[in-house]
Amino acid sequence: MNIIGELALWVSLPVAIWGASLAFIGGRQNRGDLVLSAERTVYAVLALITLASLGIVDTFLNDRFEYTYVASYSSLDLPTFYKVSGLWAGQTGSLLFWLLLMCGFSALAVWSNKTKNREFMPYVVGTLMVLQVFFLVVLLFADVNPYARLGFTPIDGQGLNPQLQNYWMTIHPPTLYLGFTAFTIPFAFAMAALLSGRLDSRWIVVTRKWILLSWFFLSNGIVFGMRWAYEELGWGGYWFWDPVENASLLPWLTATAFLHSVQIQETRGMLKVWNMGLVLTTFLLTIFATFLTRSGLIESVHTFAENTKIAFIFLGFMGSIMALVAVLIIYRLPQLKSSNQIESFISRESAFLFNNLILVATTFAVMWGTLLPLLSEGFMGQEISVGPAFFNKVNVPFGIAILFLMGVGPVIAWRRASKKNLQRNFLVPIGVGLATAAGLWFAGARVGLSVMTFGIGAFVLWVIGAEFWKGTKARARIEGEGLVRAFWHLVMRNRRRWGGYIVHVAIVVMFVAFATAPWYQEIRQTLDPGESAEITSPLGSTYTMTYEGLSTNFNDREDNLAWQAVALLTVEKDGEPLPPMSTEKREYIRPERSTSTEVAIRSTAVEDLYITLADVNTRAVQMRINDPTAQTATFTFMVKPLVSWIWASAFVLTIGALIGMWPGGAQTPAPASRSAAGTAEPAPAGD
Amino acid sequence: MGSNSRFMIGLVGVAAVVTYLVWTGVSDTMTYFLTPSEYDARIEADPSFRQVGVRIGAILVPESYEKGAGELEHRFVVHDDDDPSVTMEVLYTGVLPDTFNDAPDMLTETVLEGRYDENGVFEATLLLTKCGSRYEASPESLDRGDEPAIT
Repeated sequence: MNIIGELALWVSLPVAIWGASLAFIGGRQNRGDLVLSAERTVYAVLALITLASLGIVDTFLNDRFEYTYVASYSSLDLPTFYKVSGLWAGQTGSLLFWLLLMCGFSALAVWSNKTKNREFMPYVVGTLMVLQVFFLVVLLFADVNPYARLGFTPIDGQGLNPQLQNYWMTIHPPTLYLGFTAFTIPFAFAMAALLSGRLDSRWIVVTRKWILLSWFFLSNGIVFGMRWAYEELGWGGYWFWDPVENASLLPWLTATAFLHSVQIQETRGMLKVWNMGLVLTTFLLTIFATFLTRSGLIESVHTFAENTKIAFIFLGFMGSIMALVAVLIIYRLPQLKSSNQIESFISRESAFLFNNLILVATTFAVMWGTLLPLLSEGFMGQEISVGPAFFNKVNVPFGIAILFLMGVGPVIAWRRASKKNLQRNFLVPIGVGLATAAGLWFAGARVGLSVMTFGIGAFVLWVIGAEFWKGTKARARIEGEGLVRAFWHLVMRNRRRWGGYIVHVAIVVMFVAFATAPWYQEIRQTLDPGESAEITSPLGSTYTMTYEGLSTNFNDREDNLAWQAVALLTVEKDGEPLPPMSTEKREYIRPERSTSTEVAIRSTAVEDLYITLADVNTRAVQMRINDPTAQTATFTFMVKPLVSWIWASAFVLTIGALIGMWPGGAQTPAPASRSAAGTAEPAPAGD
Repeated sequence: MGSNSRFMIGLVGVAAVVTYLVWTGVSDTMTYFLTPSEYDARIEADPSFRQVGVRIGAILVPESYEKGAGELEHRFVVHDDDDPSVTMEVLYTGVLPDTFNDAPDMLTETVLEGRYDENGVFEATLLLTKCGSRYEASPESLDRGDEPAIT
């Protein structure tokens, strides 16, 4: 199996090159037969890369430690689940996995366009095949072949780092990769539009669901990573503005911008060059993210090993694509002229444009902060770095502005909003927002930016709620349906729009949850058995934690444990007993001296009580000393409001995105004058 | 005034806000990110640099970890990535990350934030670690994979 897999990897390179050539020649010469052959190579490469990936999984399952990759990430006693996910546990495997996903999406795109969009397909296939060739060349010639051998066979492998043996960490990279690779399809269609010269909004209509699919996976992938950090890393946070985290956020930001700006092109025929720019930027950022996590170019707590050869290959590739697209855009510039102009500053176009500007500005700021150590070293000769303080300072105002626009965008009229439109749609919601902010301020929430977020959040939720209510009521009246039925039909008839609103609700809830961060409570205390610590939640209740003692366990070969120290705590909330909690430290037998801290989290809808064992008397535990001082332990206690809302809102976001992506349904964009759901006013003529 | 020019003003406004936020953000929160050799050279050139808080990127010296006297105090030694002869004693106060590993085969990269105390010990308030060898196995360490870790 492994030999077949390795062979398949080599064979796929000429097949992909052949496919790319056929596609471009077929496209230039209008030869349908060549294009058809090229499309078949897409399936062929998918089959070959599937074989190559199965071969790697096979080497893991059979403990073939003569392969460097298996020896580095597996061991005899590793659970089967993590042996299978070993395919994406490290650098070389995850590049192959990336390629596998991309081949899968390519095949899906070819298959679903068998009988339509034929004018694009030669160039779509050609572009996709060139990308596949690139990844194959990297895999085969840049020292990252997962089939590379050690030259000897170790008896056992190094084992997978215990921190990575976590459910969220297992699904986080593939989900992000699905998001990254799904975006190659919109990019390929954009390239096809540029190359074929069909530059109306057709390519956008074709790729709309692909964009959403990619965005959906990116969002979930990022949240899974946050969840892993929260549950596994033990510092109680979910986002650290680490370069690798930032790298996954960057394409998400530009994809979000793109998701909105394409609607302007569809309805108003504007922003054609801008959209080309965004699709290119987002695609390059997905490549950049893949490369950054794999090159270790920037200091980071969790990048993979340093590999400069691959850095140059990736940078060169990205540079070439950028240059090529720039040339194509300039060449096609006459066809990319806007069919309309912005008529008014106060209009939906304008709201969407500002949304785009702010998202791009955020992208720029995050990128600047992330690359600062590299840039400053290159230009000033000394490395300067910025931490979370920089990113929070810069991005919080942008976030609040975006939040505000989320309330404006859905109800402001296209082209030109009249005074009446503004009054009718915004007077009440703004009142609700101001009242919320004022109420919270007087209730004692005295953090300006947070209170602003809560107020604007209330404004947005009111706007969206009113839209749902108005739509449902109107439908119930016109169609004579019950409210529940009318609501269902309303959403199903225009899934993209209402699905989008549901996603907005999720984002508002998430932002509100983020904005409670200034109230996070944290104390650190060293306790002997029988002693208690107290922490007061920002909402007034007091938790009392009593340390009951440490139970230890040694040399458990079955579970790869050198030792394990479990601290048991009984917990009371305002005198009422809660279920006891336990947090522990472990040291594993392999990798040698590797440790792990298991946190205790009591999560409710209101707040999380988060306890970690910050320190135990390791020496005493190891020596198995039985005197009471060996039991002394240091704990970190935290109370964090609304953290569960973040995870819940990710679920709501998923539902909204699925509604928007579901096949079928009324998806034709309504003409500009009607698409504001009857709230738009007839635009006055002239300026 | 045409709405296009009004829009341009908006655009310039956003650009100005971005520039302002990024500029002040960097100058308020930036720290130097240095290797131990660079740090020593800076202090030699300008002794007052001792008082400046910096970020250091260095490699943990295997087997150098010792539990400090005080609560959550940890002592260890790091060396320069390019020049292993340049070392730095560290006193870190805080929770030790799980990836901190001073086993002989491990290559643990550390990022430290802090400054020297009067005895030339680097007092760190922040410690980030990255375990190199679990991602990039060296054949020697794999060779010993059969040896039991605890005997």
